[in-house]
Amino acid sequence: MSVTEAQQQSRLLRGVHRTLTGLHPALESVVAALVGLIAGAILMAAWGYSPWEAYSALLDGAFGGSYEWSMSLSWATPLILTALTFSICLRAGMFNIGAEGQMYVGALAAVGIAYFSLPTGLHQLVGLLFAAVAGAAWSLVPAALKMMRGVSEVISTIMFNWIAKWLALFFVIRILVDPVRAEKTVSIPVSGRLPVLVSGTSLSYGIFVSVAFALFIYFLLWHTTTGYELRAAGLNPAAARYGGIRNKRTMFLSFILGGVAAGLAGATIVMGMPPTYAIFGGMPQLLNMGFNGMAVAMVGRNHPIGIILSAIFFGGLNAGASWMQIKAGVPLEMVNVVMGAIVIAMSIPTLIRVFPMIAHASKNLLQTLRGTKKEESA
Amino acid sequence: MNDARTPTENDFFLRAEQITKVYSDGTVALKEATLEIHPNEIIGLLGENGAGKTTLTKILSGLLPPTRGRVISPKGAVHFTSPREALDFGIGMVHQHFALVGTFTAAENVALGFERPFSRLQITKTTEDLEALMQESGLQVPLDVPVEKLAVGEQQRVEVLKVLSRNVDLLILDEPTSVLTPLEVDELFNLLRRLRDAGKSIILITHKLKEVQDITDRIVVLRQGEMVGDVKTADATTERLAQLMVGQAVETDIVELSDTELPVRKVLRKVDRTKPSILHVENLTALGNTGDIAVNNVSFDIHGGEIFGIAGVEGNGQTELVESLTGLRVPTSGQATINGTNILGLDPRKIYRLGVAHIPEDRWELGLVLPFTLAENAILGVHRWEQFRGAFSVLKWGKINKHVRELMERFEIRASGPSAPAKSLSGGNQQKLIVGRELAKDPAIIVAAQPTRGLDIGSAQYIRQTLVDMREKGRAILLVSADLDEVLAHADRVAIMYEGQFMEVCSPDQLNREKVGMLMGGVTAAKETT
Repeated sequence: MSVTEAQQQSRLLRGVHRTLTGLHPALESVVAALVGLIAGAILMAAWGYSPWEAYSALLDGAFGGSYEWSMSLSWATPLILTALTFSICLRAGMFNIGAEGQMYVGALAAVGIAYFSLPTGLHQLVGLLFAAVAGAAWSLVPAALKMMRGVSEVISTIMFNWIAKWLALFFVIRILVDPVRAEKTVSIPVSGRLPVLVSGTSLSYGIFVSVAFALFIYFLLWHTTTGYELRAAGLNPAAARYGGIRNKRTMFLSFILGGVAAGLAGATIVMGMPPTYAIFGGMPQLLNMGFNGMAVAMVGRNHPIGIILSAIFFGGLNAGASWMQIKAGVPLEMVNVVMGAIVIAMSIPTLIRVFPMIAHASKNLLQTLRGTKKEESA
Repeated sequence: MNDARTPTENDFFLRAEQITKVYSDGTVALKEATLEIHPNEIIGLLGENGAGKTTLTKILSGLLPPTRGRVISPKGAVHFTSPREALDFGIGMVHQHFALVGTFTAAENVALGFERPFSRLQITKTTEDLEALMQESGLQVPLDVPVEKLAVGEQQRVEVLKVLSRNVDLLILDEPTSVLTPLEVDELFNLLRRLRDAGKSIILITHKLKEVQDITDRIVVLRQGEMVGDVKTADATTERLAQLMVGQAVETDIVELSDTELPVRKVLRKVDRTKPSILHVENLTALGNTGDIAVNNVSFDIHGGEIFGIAGVEGNGQTELVESLTGLRVPTSGQATINGTNILGLDPRKIYRLGVAHIPEDRWELGLVLPFTLAENAILGVHRWEQFRGAFSVLKWGKINKHVRELMERFEIRASGPSAPAKSLSGGNQQKLIVGRELAKDPAIIVAAQPTRGLDIGSAQYIRQTLVDMREKGRAILLVSADLDEVLAHADRVAIMYEGQFMEVCSPDQLNREKVGMLMGGVTAAKETT
């Protein structure tokens, strides 16, 4: 009797187990996002703001209407691409922190198309191509160092970010500088701009570039031999080698693809950001887009489709932040706090298991408390 | 038999009553298992992989709580919530994978667990106690050397000492002989006998029939979580035990197991050695991971229709030899050709194109990408085949899945479907997947390293039969195995490898167990005869 009972119980358990593990990745991202928002709320409450008011303003500013949606998607456009940079390399087993620098270089290359004229259509394509090649080229050196000398890609890409940053500033101030307005680079002519998709907003056709590239990566990873080799090498390099996969080649390829994505991110910003279509002195539009992409990638579970969704979420946070500041008086920077908390929450392995653990512990605590109370009353 | 050893009604040390264990994923690992343990007795716990042997011992040693049932001692029911409580009660377990700190000495490892917070470690005292214990038990290990420098057999002795130093009454050993040389096995068994005669109880987990018959007093057989047999060793025959274990008569027309004899092949096959060999290896030398010479000047040929077996204790260069022949390691010198084409220094992809299939020793590290699905694993290495790949390298998942379903059927791989994660498969099914994938390459030569290690009898038998079938089809097979019986029963020629060299290459009928044992231990036949 007890065996059949046990079997029944086991069937139930198996069902629950399957449901939980199936939803696991998505669920974990949602839980992490909630943890981040709650952490932000606690901070706001501690400083005397109303979290409720702030978050409703944030939501309103992010997804309240077509203007808000457009702004959120505009923020999401480069984030999708820089997140892909991180994810492609992670799928191949490497930590590429270099999206930031590769994006700067891509943006510079895109500004370069201001110096010649081409018919509309071709001009944009050449701009994207320039940026992609430049981004890929910037990722080549860390990739080559890794392959030939075994230099950790984490260190080399971080260093290359700094080189790229100061190089970009030098180019912006000295080489590509607008002779009329010294605070910015020359502007990309109309023929080279990515047209605005929703007038009055900064949402451009760049979003199609991002989404198309994400879908391309999805297809590449799961439906081609190249992607198959890349994932195999990332999950088990020894088995990949055994299976005749040349790990160095897949490594190299993942770096190139990541560089292309980051370069394109730079291009979508300078070619699709009204009104100036140029880089300003301190590079405010570009700054941190590469690093934030890593957060997007983590929440998106390094899956191209997940990345699109999480980029929209993060884009919304960024877009809604100013409205939150205006309406609820909460400083813009609170959004960074929330993003940071989300990233930390994401880094906790098997986050959702924390909750059953807490439940279990509190139950035990209650029981002991009750026990002691009984003893006291007795 | 000794009178003291005959159990009486209340003369038991521990009794597990009606133990049922259901894991959180729903697996029923044990169904109402009941086991009584007496002093002065060695119990053999026999069963295939997944039969519940480890679960039962984990419950006894406090690592797992039972879902239902209870463990009682003559003084009443006992509940262990941790291994430490079980140890304090007198139950110690030596696991298959040692739990030693490599950089610590034997004494420090033994002291581990005795230490209490905020108190000084008493290494000197432990060392003295240990020396006394070594005298008493006859277990000798160097005490002042880091354990990682010790041989595996010595490390196991440290583990046993660790448990004995806790004054246990029940000692549980999980597959203790899998890493030992025949000589070390004898030593271990002598020790176990002495411990038994001193009043201890011992549980020995194994799936080696011969061992269990050698040393135990009582054999308990588990099958799929149920206790299917509890017999006195004296009354048990090998056939009966095997039958209990698998639930059906095991095919025994290839091998006849007996205590002293080797498994005898009824018919020795004739291999046509007039044709040129498929694999030719000459003076191959390769270094191990530490830079020592692992394969030392080895030469051999394998012809079509032949199984060439390499026996020997693991770690004597077999792994490095296999890696050298499959492109995973670059040898320092020598030659190796397949059908006349040099293979040394080529990468695995090129070697595979010459018709080499490789069933690797480590199926988790090398053979499979565990997070991948069954289908993704089934094409590892053959993913660039024309039939799986369209224009622009696009994978044809439809065709791949069809191929996988065929493999699943042909090789009896039990899984929910091509998209099941390889992780979710049992060891036997994972190995069948690898074997199926490799044989689907239609290779000229199959390099099979430990192809049946850790598998249940059914799967192991199936895989051996598959290799034999490939031999009948004229393929050359290199069979490397630590399972001596497996090599002797199937190989047409056997090489015994010791410290990177072949001690002897001969037909299996020219060997007997004693001779093989000595060769495996590095003693040449010449020395024996003189």
